Amino acid sequence: MALAEICKISNASYMRPTAWATDDVNELKSYASNFENPYTLAAPPFANPVENLNKIQANADKTGIKIEFDHGTTTLGFKFKGGVILAVDSRATGGQYIGSQSMKKIVEINDFLLGTLAGGAADCVYWDRVLSKECRLHELRNKERISVAAASKIMANIAHEYKGMGLSMGMMLAGYDKRGPGLYYVDSEGSRTAGNLFSVGSGSIFAYGVLDSGYDYNLEDEAAQELGRRAIYHATHRDAYSGGIIRVYHMTKNGFKVISNEDCEMLHYKYQAEKAAQ
Amino acid sequence: MSFLSIDHFSDYKVHGAQRPDFSPYESNGGSIVAIAGDDFAVIAADTRLSSGYSIHSRTQTKLFQLSPLTVLGSTGCWCDTLSLTSLMRVRMQMYEHTHLRTMTTDAVAQMLSITMYNRRFFPYYVSNILAGIDKNGKGVVFSYDPIGHCENAKCRAGGTAGPLLQPVLDNQIQLKNMNLDEKDKPILTKERAVSVASDTFISAAERDIYTGDFVEIKIITKDGIESMTINLRKD
Amino acid sequence: MDLDLARDMPRAGFNFDNCKRNATLLSGGFKPPKTTKTGTTIAGIIFKDGVILGADTRATEGPIVSDKNCAKIHYLASNIYCCGAGTAADTEMTTDLISSQLELHRLNTERQVPVVCANVMLKQMLFRYQGHISAALVLGGVDKYGSHIYCIHPHGSADKLPYATMGSGSLAAMSVFERRWKPDLSEEEGKLLVRDAIAAGVFNDLGSGSNIDLCVIRKDSTEYLRNYELANKKGERQLNYDFKSGSTVVLNKTIKDLDITINIRPVPMET
Repeated sequence: MALAEICKISNASYMRPTAWATDDVNELKSYASNFENPYTLAAPPFANPVENLNKIQANADKTGIKIEFDHGTTTLGFKFKGGVILAVDSRATGGQYIGSQSMKKIVEINDFLLGTLAGGAADCVYWDRVLSKECRLHELRNKERISVAAASKIMANIAHEYKGMGLSMGMMLAGYDKRGPGLYYVDSEGSRTAGNLFSVGSGSIFAYGVLDSGYDYNLEDEAAQELGRRAIYHATHRDAYSGGIIRVYHMTKNGFKVISNEDCEMLHYKYQAEKAAQ
Repeated sequence: MSFLSIDHFSDYKVHGAQRPDFSPYESNGGSIVAIAGDDFAVIAADTRLSSGYSIHSRTQTKLFQLSPLTVLGSTGCWCDTLSLTSLMRVRMQMYEHTHLRTMTTDAVAQMLSITMYNRRFFPYYVSNILAGIDKNGKGVVFSYDPIGHCENAKCRAGGTAGPLLQPVLDNQIQLKNMNLDEKDKPILTKERAVSVASDTFISAAERDIYTGDFVEIKIITKDGIESMTINLRKD
Repeated sequence: MDLDLARDMPRAGFNFDNCKRNATLLSGGFKPPKTTKTGTTIAGIIFKDGVILGADTRATEGPIVSDKNCAKIHYLASNIYCCGAGTAADTEMTTDLISSQLELHRLNTERQVPVVCANVMLKQMLFRYQGHISAALVLGGVDKYGSHIYCIHPHGSADKLPYATMGSGSLAAMSVFERRWKPDLSEEEGKLLVRDAIAAGVFNDLGSGSNIDLCVIRKDSTEYLRNYELANKKGERQLNYDFKSGSTVVLNKTIKDLDITINIRPVPMET
């Protein structure tokens, strides 16, 4: 130690021989705390994140700095005799700017469970990924697939845990389990509702209009798929925040099937031609 | 009759103690363009670092080579870019020591998403674009929103001139709104990708005050990364 | 003006009809459209035989360049010019208005208008509007009393200086003047000095850019050197971006016949 003192080596962290020999490794881990446990997100350096983050955003006029998250938009899902239909658009908007026209708004959690996303894209994708891990663990622990009810409950619990922190999610979980087809709506406020027919997002009002007029539990498979597609098409037509590719998924007792991925522009001309032919 | 009171002379009012709003972010300007090809990826960024109306540096690279097959382009709040990229470097090194191999571009893409989401409630104010070669040897580009939503894309523009550049890329690379016969469609070669990337920057430098000085282009192939620099306007 | 004919004629001066409505819109969170600002470096010096004014040529709307080659040195009288920084419309209209008044003044007095007159008119107008006309001006001219540079601020204050700069690049330009300006510069030295001052603004201030304009006013002549130097050249693109005809899909076609009558009128050739 005497030598160290003569050489004026202090105990400051930058003077230590290696960073790895100290607690720095734990500090480093804390910068990516969610790697080991996805539920532990970094705490913001100020209290009340919703209000304070909004304050930073409210200053955007002065500073020119506004954080625009990608937002998702029109999604729908309904149960019918042949299973569950999910249909979504693919436009992601950050403020007024179209960030993407090819986003995947249906997340394949596993073969028998699908999630749709509306609201904050990052929120939905991240927590869907966590959910798919939980579902897989459930399967390994209990030797049977998780029920849609249980999966949606996990999601609702996550949402409730972070309630008031500013998450923004509006998702539907659709699946097929031993109770038959399942469809749940879960959102970031913590609500969880089972139902036969939902539509979520800014274009949902237009989608509901089409869905309600054409919906019947006894629809044939093809008619049901077309109803979902049509409802999303009309939403993309009237809602500026929806557009791009219209994706239709069908959940049956044998797992999900991808029915179609069609550009809404092509569909528009197709429907126009059909209308003209009549 | 109404009397004039101090309220009518706002300039002479004494405000007392005021708490200024906390502003943790700054916009340091700059733009990024990335294009994915069959067996290559091209990523370009200008080298101007600015704040308000002043230029901090004319030669600050915004491209971070994370592995021999992966390059991250990052702009926005420069201090966030620095802390994010150094964290990425350290985590990649830890991965290498643990698993005895380099992270693939796809793995880096996923890790970046999760690293950014960790700061969900106090986001990194950055616009990230990741380009590289994936595990199948194909060129890939991933783009991010500030809280880590990740999307695979063929071409992407980000940063201050992002909204100016993206439509050009959509049109020239993805051939959106181009009614061309199959035989007339240009083939996306490495040379074409580099030309389109540098040309878009020439145009962006004309109209975006935060983009200029030089554009640095990195061409990523399985054999390595080739670098080049092209002059832009300096005003 | 009680004539029926004149009733619909707009009254002279500013129109404040929409002020109340706009205030209501703003309080409701409406975002007004951005005005074009000339971020700008402008400068002026006195040299041996007169004055030299200089300006860059970039106009911006926030972070976007809206005009790459605008003219910021405005004509006031044959012996007086004025550089403007601030809101583009304000500087242009203010100088236009004062220019007309100077001309009327010249016709009334039947002699060349002194530069101080332009200065007084400008600052009185700006003071009247309490800074709401956002024009920051560098006024320069030569009259029988000598060479003058005035620096006029948007609220109506003015300085009489041997060398002045204004706009967002004023510090960059002023640093050049502070270093190198001295009394009785020759015209060549003066032009080089102003050019360097503007170039300092063009390259170091993001609000200024593109080319350099100069205006040299001597005792008996004026020389407006528009685009004195093209300080920045646009890069050369590598590819050709012409669109092949047919690139845009034709959705439907309507053809209308036009009735065209051709009248041939022989005009004798001027010889």
